[in-house]
Amino acid sequence: MQSVNENQRKAGRISLVGAGPGDPDLLTVKAMKAINSADLIFFDQLVSAEIRALFPQGKPAFYVGKQKNKHSFTQEQINRLIVLKAQQGLHVVRLKGGDPFVFGRGGEELLQAASAGVEVDVVPGITAASGCTTAASIPLTHRGLSQACTFITAHAEKDLTLDWSALARLDQTLVIYMGISRASFIRDQLLCAGMKASTPIAIIENGCRQNQREILGCLNDLEVLVEVHAVTSPAIIVVGDVVLFKAQLQRAQASASAHVSGSDDDDVGEALLSRPCA
Amino acid sequence: MDYLPLFFDLKGKDCLLVGGGTIATRKARLLNKAGAIIHVVAPEVEPELQLLVQQSKGHIVHQFYDASFLNGKSLVISATDERDINQQVAKDCHQRRLPVNVVDNPDLCSVIMPAIVDRSPLVIGIASGGEAPVLARKIRTQLETSIPAQYGELAKLASQFRQSVKEAFTSEDERRRFWENVLNGEIAEQVLSGNAGQAAAMLQEKIQQRDLARGGEVYLVGAGPGDPDLLTFKAVRLMQQAEVVLYDRLVSPPILEMVRRDAERVYVGKQRAQHTMSQQSINELLLSYAQQGKRVLRLKGGDPFIFGRGGEEIDLLAANNIPFQVVPGITAASGCASYAGIPLTHRDHSHSVRFITGHMKEGDINYPWNEFVDNSQTLVFYMGLAGLSTICSKLIEHGKPGDTPAALIERGTLPEQKNHISTLEKLPAYVDSHEVHAPTLLIIGNVVKLHSSLNWYKK
Repeated sequence: MQSVNENQRKAGRISLVGAGPGDPDLLTVKAMKAINSADLIFFDQLVSAEIRALFPQGKPAFYVGKQKNKHSFTQEQINRLIVLKAQQGLHVVRLKGGDPFVFGRGGEELLQAASAGVEVDVVPGITAASGCTTAASIPLTHRGLSQACTFITAHAEKDLTLDWSALARLDQTLVIYMGISRASFIRDQLLCAGMKASTPIAIIENGCRQNQREILGCLNDLEVLVEVHAVTSPAIIVVGDVVLFKAQLQRAQASASAHVSGSDDDDVGEALLSRPCA
Repeated sequence: MDYLPLFFDLKGKDCLLVGGGTIATRKARLLNKAGAIIHVVAPEVEPELQLLVQQSKGHIVHQFYDASFLNGKSLVISATDERDINQQVAKDCHQRRLPVNVVDNPDLCSVIMPAIVDRSPLVIGIASGGEAPVLARKIRTQLETSIPAQYGELAKLASQFRQSVKEAFTSEDERRRFWENVLNGEIAEQVLSGNAGQAAAMLQEKIQQRDLARGGEVYLVGAGPGDPDLLTFKAVRLMQQAEVVLYDRLVSPPILEMVRRDAERVYVGKQRAQHTMSQQSINELLLSYAQQGKRVLRLKGGDPFIFGRGGEEIDLLAANNIPFQVVPGITAASGCASYAGIPLTHRDHSHSVRFITGHMKEGDINYPWNEFVDNSQTLVFYMGLAGLSTICSKLIEHGKPGDTPAALIERGTLPEQKNHISTLEKLPAYVDSHEVHAPTLLIIGNVVKLHSSLNWYKK
């Protein structure tokens, strides 16, 4: 065996790839191409088992995920590891749930790589706010209900700098990532900032996965709903009138099918519309 | 044809694996999936391989190979890095007419291992006779892309109802039409969306009613920001399945190319100032095609539920009991940000991101401008080209610093992408002096600073 000349060694690179919200069908063609051409994959816990099942046989893939209170790797360690592997000439795919540039801390990993002179590229993914709301039939913007949408995270290592009074405006949809453990804080902040207690909310747990759950209610009950339904992460919280769209849609479908078959379809959406809120 | 493709039933059959390393382990995983009893002969055996052998109720012999181990075996795989051993194993097997595979050495093999797409019970093997394994893997990737992960479930459903369909329809032609409707229609989509139970109930009912009629269906699909590689698997599949496609200006030509060749194409695009078709007419057109029993694809740039008016389109369908599904797409903000190397959030710069439509009606300044000044929030304006100078001056007027970084991304994710990087104060003049074409996306906030370090696309 001849040893490969140092300067002939192929240059490594890092692809920062979004895996989308969990459904393997929502993976992009580009993400799959990256997975297939990778020498090495590093993934975190938001990359679903169904997506991991698509990794080619024998492809080295390592879990570097973090879980609240039990960090397996620090962000700093991950950053160093992927740069090191790329510097050894490997094509490293850093696969992250959702979109790497929306609360994915992808920027930090990429900055480290770029400053080390490693070649990088980014493959966007369907972010949870988009995938999960679609799966729950809730449009993020809708004429007459919402003219804008804002994504925030309630989980940050540094102090959150959020302008709650701007967030509390009702002409937009608010999507809160990683907010389950801080439900009462979020509720209090929004109420204090003047948002109505009756503002419709939806909690979407395990969005775009087989075990997706949707819990509808109003802002005032946010904390209670999380507790009563024992909601666990991953989950997003959607706040705004667009949540009513789901109910409106279900009502339209129910009356259309009642028209055909005479069935009388009473469901959660209907209940929500008529539910009195504090 | 150098090799005849056959599928090997190995359930409960004794197979010999020579070698105990990583490659042997990889082969053992496949044997295990196929239900074989795995026996290993090797001086040293990796822990995972030990476990697989145990699970399969086979044995491990910590020795060097000799021909006596071949007795009673149905298949032999040699996965050692010792050339002499591999050759000996092959020779012994050939003498005994025993199928043998030597890893990475097609000359010594009597059977070769294909690249596999596993959607059990549906299994696809691709072989290039060892000549071009890269090509075989490429084809595998293409198949992985076009055959959804849930396809196995669909195959199970079909086999479960095969007999009752046979009883309900006597003619072969009717049965073929029935299955075509099922596999291309709503029932299959239910399975692929993970609702196998509901699909089975629907299929049961369809069989009972001997229903050969084709029901129409609408797919409201996000085509993403422009790069065809940013389509999701689901979008690609439905594009291949549709008979009619309604599309607008934001769907790039290479994406439209990927729609089924014989599908009818209808342009319903709106252009600023000259509306070609009102939203109401689009809604009605979708309904009318679906009521004719057609599979209708409504293809939209970006994501249907983010400034895509998707909600309005499905409203009418729901009220008329037309089955539909909505497939999210990569929204322009995500696509442009990634390809411009601008993270939308970053823990040092931004804890939230707001998407706003910049498409202002004449004289419409009805925005809560004073809420947009928070410097720890990234602002993204969709379709902001025409209103650019209004947006920038209003933000400054309401207190946002004039030197706030701002980027106008032109034709994001397409080969023609251009990044115009400036500040709130200077961007309008900059854009005036350059020729800039829609579609554009405006990103405002400190994250734009990261572009200079992270710009990778077309570098």
